[in-house]
Order: sequence, then structure tokens, then C-alpha cells
Amino acid sequence: MALLEVKNLTVEFGSEDKPFRAVDSVSYSVDRGEVLGIVGESGSGKSVSSLAVMGLIDFPGRVTADALTFDGQDLLGMPAKRRREITGKDIAMIFQDPMSALNPCFTVEAQIMEALKVHEGGTKKQRRERTLELLNQVGIPDPKSRMTAYPHQLSGGMSQRIVIAMAIACKPRLLIADEPTTALDVTIQAQIIDLLLKLQEDSDMGLILITHDLALVSEAANRIQVMYAGQLFESGPADSIFAAPRHPYTQALLEALPERSEGHDRLRTIPGVVPGQYDRPTGCLLAPRCRYANESCITARPEVRDFNGRDVRCFYPLNDQGQPTGLTADMATGENV
Amino acid sequence: MSENTTPSAAPAANVAEPIGAPPSPLRETWDYFRKNRGAYVGLMVIAFILFLALTAQWIAPFDPIAQDRTAFLKPPVWMEGGDPRYLLGTDAVGRDILSRLIHGAQLSVSIGVFVVILSMISGICLGMVAGYFRGWVEVCIMRLMDIMLALPSLIMALAIVAILGPGLENAMLAIAIVQLPHYVRLTRASVVSELNKEYVIASQIAGAGHMRQMFVNILPNCMAPLIVQGTLGISSAILDAAALGFLGLGAQPPLPEWGTMLSEAREFVGSAWWVITFPGLCILVTVLAFNLMGDGLRDALDPKMKR
Amino acid sequence: MLGFLFRRLGDIIPTFFGVTLLVFFLIRLIPGDPILMMAGERGVDAARYAELQAQYGFDQPIIVQYFDYLMGVFQGDLGKSFVTKKPVIEEFLTLFPATVELSIMGILFAVILGVPLGVLAAIHRGKWIDHLTMSVSLTGYSMPIFWWALLLIMFFSTTLGWTPVSGRLSVLYYIQPTTGFMLIDTLISDEKGAFISALRHMILPTVALGTIPMAVIARMTRSSMLEVLGEEYIRVARAKGLAPIRVIMVHALRNALIPVITVIGLQVGVLLAGAILTETIFSWPGIGKWIIEAMNRRDYPTIQGGILMIAFLVMGVNLIVDLLYGIVNPRIRHKR
Repeated sequence: MALLEVKNLTVEFGSEDKPFRAVDSVSYSVDRGEVLGIVGESGSGKSVSSLAVMGLIDFPGRVTADALTFDGQDLLGMPAKRRREITGKDIAMIFQDPMSALNPCFTVEAQIMEALKVHEGGTKKQRRERTLELLNQVGIPDPKSRMTAYPHQLSGGMSQRIVIAMAIACKPRLLIADEPTTALDVTIQAQIIDLLLKLQEDSDMGLILITHDLALVSEAANRIQVMYAGQLFESGPADSIFAAPRHPYTQALLEALPERSEGHDRLRTIPGVVPGQYDRPTGCLLAPRCRYANESCITARPEVRDFNGRDVRCFYPLNDQGQPTGLTADMATGENV
Repeated sequence: MSENTTPSAAPAANVAEPIGAPPSPLRETWDYFRKNRGAYVGLMVIAFILFLALTAQWIAPFDPIAQDRTAFLKPPVWMEGGDPRYLLGTDAVGRDILSRLIHGAQLSVSIGVFVVILSMISGICLGMVAGYFRGWVEVCIMRLMDIMLALPSLIMALAIVAILGPGLENAMLAIAIVQLPHYVRLTRASVVSELNKEYVIASQIAGAGHMRQMFVNILPNCMAPLIVQGTLGISSAILDAAALGFLGLGAQPPLPEWGTMLSEAREFVGSAWWVITFPGLCILVTVLAFNLMGDGLRDALDPKMKR
Repeated sequence: MLGFLFRRLGDIIPTFFGVTLLVFFLIRLIPGDPILMMAGERGVDAARYAELQAQYGFDQPIIVQYFDYLMGVFQGDLGKSFVTKKPVIEEFLTLFPATVELSIMGILFAVILGVPLGVLAAIHRGKWIDHLTMSVSLTGYSMPIFWWALLLIMFFSTTLGWTPVSGRLSVLYYIQPTTGFMLIDTLISDEKGAFISALRHMILPTVALGTIPMAVIARMTRSSMLEVLGEEYIRVARAKGLAPIRVIMVHALRNALIPVITVIGLQVGVLLAGAILTETIFSWPGIGKWIIEAMNRRDYPTIQGGILMIAFLVMGVNLIVDLLYGIVNPRIRHKR
């Protein structure tokens, strides 16, 4: 049994009769010791889905799922108090912007010790020792003096290390990292990712790495989940996705990587933006931006289906040569972009 | 031709964008304002009070200072012993309360409007000069404003009235002076931030004089916060004027100013609730209406709050 | 922190001199001759006039007069009342505790009611409880407090008979002032029931005085709280698995209160202005009532001294609030 099992997770906002689906029937699972990469542009619902797993979607938002289980326990059905015991202890999360993730009014030590106090108890002395240990673990130089520092006295990279220390304080079995490096300097980014992967390996945690950075995921993740406008577009093992994307969107994302643009004058881009609440196409959500889209893509919405052992949401999944299958020849030239 | 120029990226399934000019800024502000129920109610109440103020001479059933020696402290009509001629009863010397309240609306509205106009015009001029010329002029003006702000507004107004002597005109002048720092500070702050914008530099290069720069180019761009402050200023002017009247330092009897009416009615706190309740209620409703409208205007004019 | 203190003091000193200048000229700006006014209807002969002029220093050049006045202020000499002939500072100090007591109660009322109301409105944003709280707050904010005080008296004192109409203590008791704070003095005295009496006298003036600050604090707390609740660190706190009450009361409120403290400090001016009206209505023997009486009697040294002391008070409290702000907000405390 997988550590985290998500089946048809849906998150809706807005009124009951005209809801906006930020996450639309997304399924995935993470095992212990496994790294799952969730990839997508901003607005693709990747953050919202993980907030739903954490139980952090507030009132106007509605979370439904066929199954949302952690270690066999149903997260949606359990009482709020029981769920809070799991949140922060067994499942922890790291957020995008470390500078705003720490409460400016409290010291580093107080914020780390708080999580320990709630979930593990123990004496103040024990908690302080554990905090020191954690700061060492996340590679903070001179941890003793940092204990009593306030967040505004720390750099971005330092803050993110503190945030990580806070998240792993109670030895979680699953860690969700939501764009953990986006707000950091490029030089720091690699350090933080290395740290996360090392922690994950050492304690055999499950790790969900949410990012829009495909290159990063390619190195770190075992499996990849590509999301677009709240929907799962493609999922499968990392290396096979990189070798042969089955979904036109994945293909376009890969082509947009700088290292794959060699030989071109410019970086390749995907025209347009992710549809928002009011401008959802009726057919396939990618149709307006897809180079292969045809009439049926505009009128009907594809379902997720199995294609060569991968889950793909497309009428015309790509073959190993990157050409859509199941299309008549004249449509395959991609005249729409 | 027309087919080709439509952007090809626009998806066919999309709802067509409404074509036409964007709404005018005034229209847009009004739409935001309309959506704010409180502000809208405030505006309606203000319209009603304005109507009363403008037509007081004709709609008030009695002369506000005429005394009826046969009807002292008559309760409102619906109470036992009420006189049908005096809808809201009479005061201690037999004056019709309703008529006095209606004429009081006239006084309060003119106090509010006069004070704000006086204070705003002088405040804008001072703030404009301070923000535009900077240097020691600015230091002097802003220091003076700081000193004025060191005193609570009512106490400052009291001090000025102590110099000028009690009376409605002096009270109005005092309140106008007290409100001055707010307009000066607001104007200066906006002017300083506008001063470095391209359009100001551009018209300077085009040879615009100081006066033109200050009042034609810069001022219109600073008006939004001033309008909001002006609306809220009306409410605090009415409130302060009533407080001064209540303390016997503002409008003098027999003027039907609401605060003065309350001051005269104080001794009947245990016997005649109506002489106390109605004037105060009028002050509260008027002040509340202007505050609601001011809040609504602020939200409507503040681009940060929009969307 | 020390540097911060000095910087703030540096800002205050020009204002301090400005206020003394303003108050000094207050008396010179009055049309008419102050000595003739003091003498009243009886008038004075020329010799007595010159004597009085010398006594009050009116024969000196104006700059010398200001300097003398300033020196007096530094030594705590605010002149003598025209009416009682007692030093103004002495009268001020006798009456001051009554105003302080009332103001403290007023601000306590405002904070104890205003902060929870603001928090409540913020966490129930857009629901009826939010609308109700904000309507109450806006009404309180627009309230003419002299009318509000009269309504309170009309309802609770004359109709229900629950509370006394005026004064600080029932005439049945005599309390020798030790601290000047009636609640404390009655509590340490032997008189039974005196404390209850003092408390009963306290209630209505406290409510009347505290209403506007309460409304302002509630509004400010709400908007500040709403801003903080949208911050990332609140989400992080929830992700730690903390109970909602802890997230709100510890993580959100601590941050939300920082701007509220400034607002509370600004309410001191509002309170002192309100004290003038409240004390007049409730016959509360404090400095507000004292200044109004001085105005009615045209007792200029008292008006002058009273206004000066109020200005000092407001400036002093603002300074304290600024320092307090530095203490609660670590970002300022550590700025060098």
C-alpha cells in the first residue's frame, strides 16, 4: 500500500451552481522513499492539490475525492483534531517563499520548537536540543547563535533551511515541497534541492516536489506528474517521460527548456496562458494553445487513458517520434501555431 | 482583411470580448461605489438631509425660534399628552422640535461644507507650496502642521475659540484651522510623489510656469485622496461643531444648531427624553452618512482595493 | 534601541518648543488687554495697572516675555489662575489623577472590547457577525459622545436607577486621597462599600469615553487581522498542525496587533478631547471639566497651562507608544 493515495481529488471554489474547479479529478500516489515531481505552469492547480492533501483549503473551497488516504487512514473522513495530529507530524510541507513563511514576531527557535511541542511534547530542554540538532542537520552554520535570531535577520537561503528544519522536525513520513527554490538565488537553489534529497534519502521519506522547473524534476524525481489547469495531463516514470513525452503539452514544456533549444535562435515558448476561471475552453483545456489541436479537441474534452503504460489525457497521444497518433496525415503537420 | 487581422491565438470557443471603449474613470468609480451598499445608503441619507436643508424655510411647520407659551415640553404626538401640531414635541420654551431639527440640518450642512471648503482650499495651497518648492518653506509649513497635530482636534478648536470668543462663525473658523493639517499633509505627500513623474517633467520642458504646473498639471492627479478626506472632514466638522455648541462655545441660543439644542436640553435628561434624543439622533445619522460615503469613496477611488 | 529613542526625541524637541510658542501667543492674541480683563468691571487705576503689568511681565519686550515663560515652564511654573490665584500646575496636579483614571478605564474598555470584536469580525469575514460588528463599530465611530453620555444617563441612571448620575463617589463616603485614583483609594480605605460606589460611578463615564476608541480599535484590528491572515506564515503555522485557536491567537494576533498599538496610542488624543465632554456631563472633577470652566471664566493662565499640559501629555504618550512599538516589533528593535 502506498504512503499517500489520492484518487480523483477535486477542489472547487465559488458558488455551488457555477463552481470553479482549481483541481479536477487528479489521482496519484507516493510511496515511502519515492520522489514524485508535480510539474505545471502557474495556475495549473499543483499547489492547490497539495494544500488539499494538507487540509489547508479554507471554507469557500470544497475538497472531494474518491480516496484520500495516508498510510491507509482516510484523511477526509477523520475528525479535524485527528487530522491535525497527522498534519505537521507525518505529513509536512515547505512553502514557496521562505522570507514570508516565517512569522516575523518569533525567533527561529520558538517556531521550530512549537511544532515539536504540539506533536512530541517532551521537556523544553529536550526540544531545544532537538532544535539544535535539526539546525545542524539542515546545514546552518553556527546554529547556536541562529536559534535566537528573528526571521528578518536571515537571508533567503538561510530562511529556507529553517523552514525545512521546521518541516522535518517531527520526522515526517511524507514531505511536500511547493516550489522550494523559486524564490531563491540560482546559486542557492541547487544547495537546497541537494539538502532536500539527502534528507529524503536518509530518512526514507516520501517527497512530493512541486515545481515548474522541468530540469530540476528530471534530476530529482522518480515519477512525474504533469498538470495543466487543474487537470492531470500526463504521468509516468521520470526518465521515460523525458525520453518520449506522450502529451503535446509535455512535449512543448520540454522544448521550452534552454538545453533543448540548442540550434535555435530563441527559446521555444508556448503561446498564451493557462485558462483562468472565466475563460475555460469547452473542449480540451489545452486546445487553444496546442499545435496539434483540431475540431474534436475544441468540442470534446479528453479523458485520462492508458497509452503505452503511461496515463495521458489527450485524443492524439504522441508516439516515440513526437508525432500525434490517430490523426489523419494532413492534420499532423501542426498548422495551428 | 478583417478576417486576417483577428489574432489567430484567440480560441474559437472563447466568449467574444466586448468591443468598445473602456468605461470612463468616473463611470468606473461610480460602479464600484454603487456596489457598496453602505456607501449608497449614506449617499441617499445625505441627499435627504440636503433636501431638508435647502427647503427648510418651506417645509418646516413652524418658525424654529417661535415660542408657544401654551405648549412647554409637549411630548411627541404618539405619546400621551402629545399635541398633534407638534409632531416631535416641543422644548422647554415651547418651540417645535421638528422645525428646529430641519433648520438645524441647514446649519449643520452649511457648517460642514463651509469648513471643508475653507480648510481644503488653504490646505491644498499650503501643501502644494510645501511639496512643490521643498526646502525651508516645506520645513516651516510641515513643522507648523506637526505642532497643530500635537493637540487633540477638539482641544485645539477650544483654544482657538478661547481666543476668538464663542459663536458659530468663530467655531467654524476654529474647526477649519484644526482640519488644515490633514489636507496639507495629504496634498504635500501626493505632490511629492507626482513631482517626479514623466508628465510633470515633460510639461516643465514644454515651458509650463509654476502656477500652471501646480494647479493645472499636478493638482488634478492628487484629488482622489483629498475628496475622500473632504467627505470625512464634513462629518468631523459637524461633530466638532456640535460638540462646541454643546459646550456653549459654538452656535449660541436660540440658533437651532443640534449640539446647542442638546446643551439647552441637558437639564431635562430625567424628564423629557425627546428633547435629548432627537437632536443627537440627527447628528449621529448625518455623521454616519458622511462616514459611510467617505469609506465608500475611498474604496471606490483606491486602485489597490479594486479587483 | 537607544539610537531610536534619541531620534524620536530629536523629532519631538522642535514640536515641544512650537507648542510652547503657540500657547504663549494664545494669550497675546486675545483682543483686549489681559490686565483690564482680569480686573473685570471694577477697573484699575494707573499705578495699580503698572504694578500688575510688572508683576506679569507685560512691560517687557515680547521675546523676553516668551523666554521668561519658557524658563517658568521648565521649572514647572505655569503661572497663577486669575480666579483662584493658585498656581496652575498645582490645580492641574490635583485634578489630573481623576482624568488619568477615567482615561485608563476608557482605553481598557476600548481594548478589551475592540480587539476581540475586530478579531471576531476578521475570522468571520463577510458573514453576519462581521457585518454586525462593523455596523456597531461605524456607529460608535460616528457617535456624538456627549449625546451618547446623555442617553446612557437617561437609560441607566434615571430610568433604571442602576448607576449614579454624576461625580466620582457617593457623598456618604469621605476618602482621603492617597494615590488620587478613586478605585485604588477606596480599595485600600476602611470604608465599606466605598469601592463599589466608586466603581458604579465609573461605569457610565468609562463607556461614554471608551466608545469611539473601541470603534476605531475594532476596525483597525479587523483590517490588520485580515491582512495578516492572508500571510504565508499563517499557512505555515497551520501546516504545523496547530489548533486554529492557537494560529489565530498566537501567530496572527501577535502580528496584527503591531499596527493596532499605534492606533491605541493615537486614541490618547481622542480620549483627552473626549474627557472634556465626558467630564462636563458627568461632573467628573478632572482636567477636562477644569479647562471648560476656565474657558467660561476666561481664566487665561489656566487655559494656557491646561492646553500646554495636554499637549505635553499627548506628545509623551506618543513617544511611549513609539518605543513600545519597537519592543513588540522585532524588525524595528534590531534596526541600528
